[in-house]
Amino acid sequence: MKKILMTIAFGSLVMAGCMDGDWDVPQSIQDNPPYGNNTIEKYEAAKVMTIAQLKTANKSAIEGNSVAEITDDVQLQVVVNGNDAGGNLYKQVSVQDETGGIIIGINATDQAAFLPVGQKLLINLKGLCIGGYGKQPQLGSLYNGGIGRMELETWKQHVRLVKDDVVAAKADTIDFNPSADVMTQTGRIVRISPATITGEGTQTLAPEDGSVRLTNNCANRTINGNSKVVLRTSSYSDFASLPIPTGPVDVYGVCTTFNGTWQILMRTETDLKSE
Amino acid sequence: MLWALMSIAASQSYAQTETTETEKDQKQDNAAFVFTESQLGEDDEMTQNVIMVGSNTDVYKSNVGYLWSPVRFKFRAYNSRYNDIYMNGVQVNNAEHGQFNYSTIGGMNDAMRSIDATSPFEDNSFAMSGVGGSNNYNLRASNYAAGNKITLSGANRNYTLRGMYSFGTGVLPKGWAVFGTVGYRWANMQTAAVEGTFYNSLSYFLAVQKIFNDRHALNLSTWGNPTERAQQGASTDEAYWLANDRQYNPYWGYQDGKKRSSRVVNNYEPSALLTWDYKINDNMKLTTSAFAKYAMYSSTKLNYNGTNPAPDYWKNFPSYNYDVWGETDGTNNNIDAYWTSYNFWKGGRHNRQINFDELYFANRQLNKTGTDAVYYIQARHNDHLATNLSSTYNWNIDRSRKFTAGIQLTSHKGMHYQTMEDLMGAENFHNVNTYAIGTYPASDNRVQYDLNKPNGQVREGDRFGFDYNILVQRFNAFAQYSLDKGIAHSFLTGKIGGEQMWRDGKMRNGLCADYSYGKSGKARFLDGGFKMGSTLNLGAGNTITMGVGYETRAPQASTAFVSPEMNNNFVENLKNEKMYSAELSYAVNVSWLQLNLNGYFSHTYEGTEWQNYYDDNENSFTYVSMTGVEKNYYGAELGAKFRITSNFSVNLIGTICDAKYVSDTDVRYMLSNEGTMQATRCFNKGMREGGTPLTALSLGLNYRVGRGWYFNLAGNYYDRIYLFYTPVTRFESTQQLWARNNYNGATLDNATGEYIYNVPDQAKGKGGFMLDASIGHTFYVAHHPLNVNLMLTNITNNTKITTGGYEQSRMNYSVSDQEINTRTYNFTRNPKKYYAQGINGMLNINYRF
Repeated sequence: MKKILMTIAFGSLVMAGCMDGDWDVPQSIQDNPPYGNNTIEKYEAAKVMTIAQLKTANKSAIEGNSVAEITDDVQLQVVVNGNDAGGNLYKQVSVQDETGGIIIGINATDQAAFLPVGQKLLINLKGLCIGGYGKQPQLGSLYNGGIGRMELETWKQHVRLVKDDVVAAKADTIDFNPSADVMTQTGRIVRISPATITGEGTQTLAPEDGSVRLTNNCANRTINGNSKVVLRTSSYSDFASLPIPTGPVDVYGVCTTFNGTWQILMRTETDLKSE
Repeated sequence: MLWALMSIAASQSYAQTETTETEKDQKQDNAAFVFTESQLGEDDEMTQNVIMVGSNTDVYKSNVGYLWSPVRFKFRAYNSRYNDIYMNGVQVNNAEHGQFNYSTIGGMNDAMRSIDATSPFEDNSFAMSGVGGSNNYNLRASNYAAGNKITLSGANRNYTLRGMYSFGTGVLPKGWAVFGTVGYRWANMQTAAVEGTFYNSLSYFLAVQKIFNDRHALNLSTWGNPTERAQQGASTDEAYWLANDRQYNPYWGYQDGKKRSSRVVNNYEPSALLTWDYKINDNMKLTTSAFAKYAMYSSTKLNYNGTNPAPDYWKNFPSYNYDVWGETDGTNNNIDAYWTSYNFWKGGRHNRQINFDELYFANRQLNKTGTDAVYYIQARHNDHLATNLSSTYNWNIDRSRKFTAGIQLTSHKGMHYQTMEDLMGAENFHNVNTYAIGTYPASDNRVQYDLNKPNGQVREGDRFGFDYNILVQRFNAFAQYSLDKGIAHSFLTGKIGGEQMWRDGKMRNGLCADYSYGKSGKARFLDGGFKMGSTLNLGAGNTITMGVGYETRAPQASTAFVSPEMNNNFVENLKNEKMYSAELSYAVNVSWLQLNLNGYFSHTYEGTEWQNYYDDNENSFTYVSMTGVEKNYYGAELGAKFRITSNFSVNLIGTICDAKYVSDTDVRYMLSNEGTMQATRCFNKGMREGGTPLTALSLGLNYRVGRGWYFNLAGNYYDRIYLFYTPVTRFESTQQLWARNNYNGATLDNATGEYIYNVPDQAKGKGGFMLDASIGHTFYVAHHPLNVNLMLTNITNNTKITTGGYEQSRMNYSVSDQEINTRTYNFTRNPKKYYAQGINGMLNINYRF
């Protein structure tokens, strides 16, 4: 009897292995991203709309700071070029195709983890809204009679992440042109070179110490002395406390506009390059 | 006739012995119900807080520990660091935080049954009794009965199945004695009472003793219980309502369709105790014990540098979108979003738990651009090495006088660090302080967790975030004299101790580059105290006992550092805690009644407390030190056992007590994203000890039938259960902000500059009635006793009783430029709570042979 019990005791010692165990990367996410709508198919050319076509078709809504609901079953085939990785784009993602770029308002933070720069997207537009906010073209939902952010669940119903490997180079850059048309330049990644930023050598980009006026928690720093071109940085961004380098630098960022002022939004600290 | 009477008496005493032992099992099992940490708070620093007080003579003290364990009753609402635990005379409380972790002796019931339990004002043979009582476990092999015992149990509690086997040799002819026990407790995700938890624990205990002669004996005991268990998290009433389950557990989720817990505790504390018993002569003995333990404790947590993935994150609730309390102006109310959220919660279990697949996917996406993981599972380790030595001298001077004295040396090295447990598919992670990025640029040295290895790549198993040791060395001595004279038994005990503590940092934190790496200075404290008491035998079974004591206690090393995860700085104004205590008791012990009536009062002052929380307005962890803590503990206790007939008795047990802060407290706090210190006051006067009923009443019926059957039925009523308060809403700085904004009843008189505060009331839980029962029988199989016992707890299935919880340390508003912007979600209305489990039971079968 004792031998049997000892065997049981020893057996339980051996069997008492680890219960939590090792966890592998889930197989299912390889083919079906657990984000977005995997039932969306890639549309044929006739039902694909370019960003330029979308903006042109809704020019009056954009320029009138109003909203238009998209009723046609059409699709955008785009690449992510800007997200909230650095905390400067807030509840916004920017996308582009060969014809232009556009801002998408989504009522959710920390979307960079799902929508990295270079991610290809299929966006089914039917049911979404397009409009202007300070004449800035934006995709989203109706909010208080204007264009607002869409709920995350709405976004997830309208977007599919294309499995292709992300190629960051596809988010190409154009040189900023202060006299360019709003429609063609907004939503694109632009470069200003050389750029001299107000506060150079003495201040950080977006301090909360009162040394620069903050509007909606953002500091606007004039670039190259042109008051119609500003570098806009949130005091909540990861690079708010980055000292502004002395002398000309290269600035990259998402090109936006607000009632006639160009606002360049850096995505991460690396969008500011100094010699 | 005489022979017949003797045999009946013998059989009754045998049955009595068996029943008593089974009841002890029952007490231990019920105690184990709460001693498993499964209901720990989300706050990692909130350690379990259990006092297993005992007394051989007091009906109240000997019963409450197990009787009220389903609601985590704390004896006199004391922190368990006031409960001193000894093993063969050597104190084994953790020297860093003062508490004893009862779960480390779980699953070895037969080994831990012999306890010399003394209440706060009883003298004993091993120490000055603690403020919350003292227990001395006798772990000598010769102390255990010879024979074998096998125990099998089934339960719907933390574990589902348990098996234990014990054997003892008794004292063999050549003076050897051996006792051992091995046990296993098990539940998996399918069987555990709380969904998303499991339990996997092996226990062993082995004692070998050699009795060399009448004077010398040497005993070696060693034990441990490697345990892996998944935890349950507290949540809000809204979550329980949406899940339609007060045992809803937000800590688990689905990965590839399988259940996975994000909070897994691994604990193994192999211990060894060597004891030399030296009988100097018939009246003197010396007990010397050396104790060593290497404790390994880790607790995992799903962390993030993005959206909080917790399913019960406040922004996920319907009430985030609509002010259901009607306390705001309603401008942000969005009824559509409310229903979207409601429908999502009600849309299925998947929606209410962690979506691991999505988190893996995010990390895989980030790999494409070489970005660090946003989601990962980290493990917080609290390991320690303890080596304690004690020697106790007992001298029976004569029949009425006793003298006891002892010394104790304690050395403790606590090792605290965080490791990367699972990168969840990510390829990159760096040892940088993401909370500080923003306050400082990513290229700034101050965002580095370890400047000795800046931007260190973190792989699975690597340490990151913090890594430091806390070292404590302590010396203690006590002496006790007791005297029986006339109708009085009196004692006087005094103790004195010295302690030094320091921190040894293993990382050079960028925010504290000059005072985080290497050894801190040493803080030294001298403490001591006395207790005296007297029991007067008034005759006819009536006694009065009174006791008073005063002691000073060195601050716990766990509260002595401002932010030990970051730097070496001690809390300012660190002082010994002082404590007065007194107790007056009346007892009756006659044939039909055993009654105890106790009144007690304790006053502590100059105490130190420490906690940390996440401050979302600052996007920072905040480390809070409170000094000058002053509290009162007082109450009345009743224990009565009415022996109605020889086999039927009734127990009446109750307490009404209070445990609260009696003055406001000085506060210094530090933000983890800035590394700067702030000072304020905390208006915590009147706050009460949380997580225990301050009023409890129990009526128990005990009935025995013949030799074998016994029944217990106990109705318990609990009330005045407070939740742990948060200091944040009670900071003077917070109240001034409220006043300047005319917020929540606080105002500022601009003419006089006088602030009028409105300190919130402490959140309360709900009490209620709970019915427990036990039925047992002793059979004889092959002339050996087979005990069968079924315990049922909460028979009326009252799941509305709160067993613990805490106020959230978040605000009902955000702050911008010193202006308050009210949020729709109301944190004050949504404290996190735990509720009592519904009807649950345990079936025990044990067989001795």
